[in-house]
Amino acid sequence: GKPERLVNVEAARDDGVLVLRRFSGGGTVVVDHNSLWTTIIGRNAMLPGVKPFPREIMAWSAESIFGPAFESWNREISSDRSRSDIAGRKRGRQTLVFQGKSCGFSGGAGESLILPSKDTRQQSLEENSPPKFELRENDYVFGERKIGGNAQSIVSGGFMHHTSFLWDYDLSNMAYLTLPEKRPEYRSDRSHDKFLARLKEYHGQRSSKNSLWAHMKKATNDRFELEEVRLDNVMKIAEDKFGGFQEWFDGKCRTKVVRL
Amino acid sequence: MAAVSIFATAARRSMAQALRSSRPATSSRPWTARLMSTYFTPAHEYCKVDGKVATVGITDFAQAALGDIVFVDLPEPGDSFEAKESFGSVESVKAASDVYAPITGKVLEVNEALTDEPGLVNSSAEDDAWFIKLEVGDESELGELMNAEQYKEHCEKEAH
Repeated sequence: GKPERLVNVEAARDDGVLVLRRFSGGGTVVVDHNSLWTTIIGRNAMLPGVKPFPREIMAWSAESIFGPAFESWNREISSDRSRSDIAGRKRGRQTLVFQGKSCGFSGGAGESLILPSKDTRQQSLEENSPPKFELRENDYVFGERKIGGNAQSIVSGGFMHHTSFLWDYDLSNMAYLTLPEKRPEYRSDRSHDKFLARLKEYHGQRSSKNSLWAHMKKATNDRFELEEVRLDNVMKIAEDKFGGFQEWFDGKCRTKVVRL
Repeated sequence: MAAVSIFATAARRSMAQALRSSRPATSSRPWTARLMSTYFTPAHEYCKVDGKVATVGITDFAQAALGDIVFVDLPEPGDSFEAKESFGSVESVKAASDVYAPITGKVLEVNEALTDEPGLVNSSAEDDAWFIKLEVGDESELGELMNAEQYKEHCEKEAH
C-alpha cells in the first residue's frame, strides 16, 4: 500500500518512527518489545494439505498451532488458579500472598486477600476466562477483538506467514496509524483501542509473554520436529551467505525502509 | 462449501474469458482473421498471446483467493524476464503474492491504471487489470502452459 494512506506521516516523521514496508503485504501494524512475533515458513511439498492462499494458510495455522497453543495456555492458567484457590481454602478464607510465589498472584509482598465464597469463585473463574481463540474473517481474535496482525507472502512452492501478537501495546503508538480504508466487517468503525485486545489483559497477572511463547513452541513441537536455534546462528548465515546482515538488508532483502 | 463455490465460479469465469478471446476476431484488415490464444500457468497467471505480444495478468481465480487488492508492484518497460521468473507482486489486505512471467520476454508496457486503482484487479482481473505486455521471446514456451480447459481442471482440483 501507499504510506500516506496507512500511516500518519507527519506524526511518524516528527517522532522519528522507523517505518518498514514488508514484502509480505497485509495491514500496517505498530510493533515493539510488547509484541510477540511468529513466522511460519511453509513449503507446499511438505504441507500438501495446505492450499497456498491467505485464508487457507490462516485456517491451517489457527487449527494446527495457535488454537492448541491458546487452549493449553488457558488450561494452565485455569489449573493454576484452581490450585491457588484450593490452597487458600485450606488455610481459611483469608490468606497472605507474596510476589513471585507459585500461587500465581503478583502483587505486593505480604498482600492480604479475602477469597470469595466457593459459589462466587466458580462464577468469577468463568467470567475471567478469555473468549475462545478463533479465526474471524482474516484475523485471529478473542471474541470480537483482534489479538494480532497477520501477513503472508506467497511464492512459487511455498509461503511465509507471520503474526505480531499483541501481548501489550501503548495506545499512544496507535496514533501513528490511520483507520484502514479496507476493514473487516466485524470491526465496523471501532477505533484501534476498541478493536484490538491486549493478551496480557486476560491472563497477564498470572502469566507472561514468555509463558505464552512456551505454549506456542509446544503446540508447534506437537506437530513438527522442533529444533531450536539461536539468533547468532541466523546472523552467521547472513554473514556467510550475504556478507553480513546490513548487506543482506540493503541488497536482497525485500523489506525496505520507507523514507517519509 | 463457500470457498469451493467461489473458486469454482471464478474458474468458470476464467475459462469463459479464455474462450471469448480465442475466437477469431475481425481486424482493421478485413481479409485477415486474427486469433488470440489464452494460456494459463499453475500459479494462476494468464497469458493472452496476439502475434508477438503477450498480455499477462492474474486470473479471476487468483484475485478471488487473494481478497481485496491494495497494491500492485510492476516492473519497468524494457525489463526482461525469463519464464517462471518473478516480475512483480500483487498485494491484498492479507498477503503479497509474487507473479511470474509465463514466458521469456521483454516488458513492452505496464498497466499504469493499477497504480491508482489496484482494486481493478478484483473487478476485471482478466480484462482491464492486465499487468504487463511482454514481447514474446520463445514461442515454444507456450507449449508448456495450460489451455482454458486444463486450467479449469487445475482450479477445480485446487478448490477441493
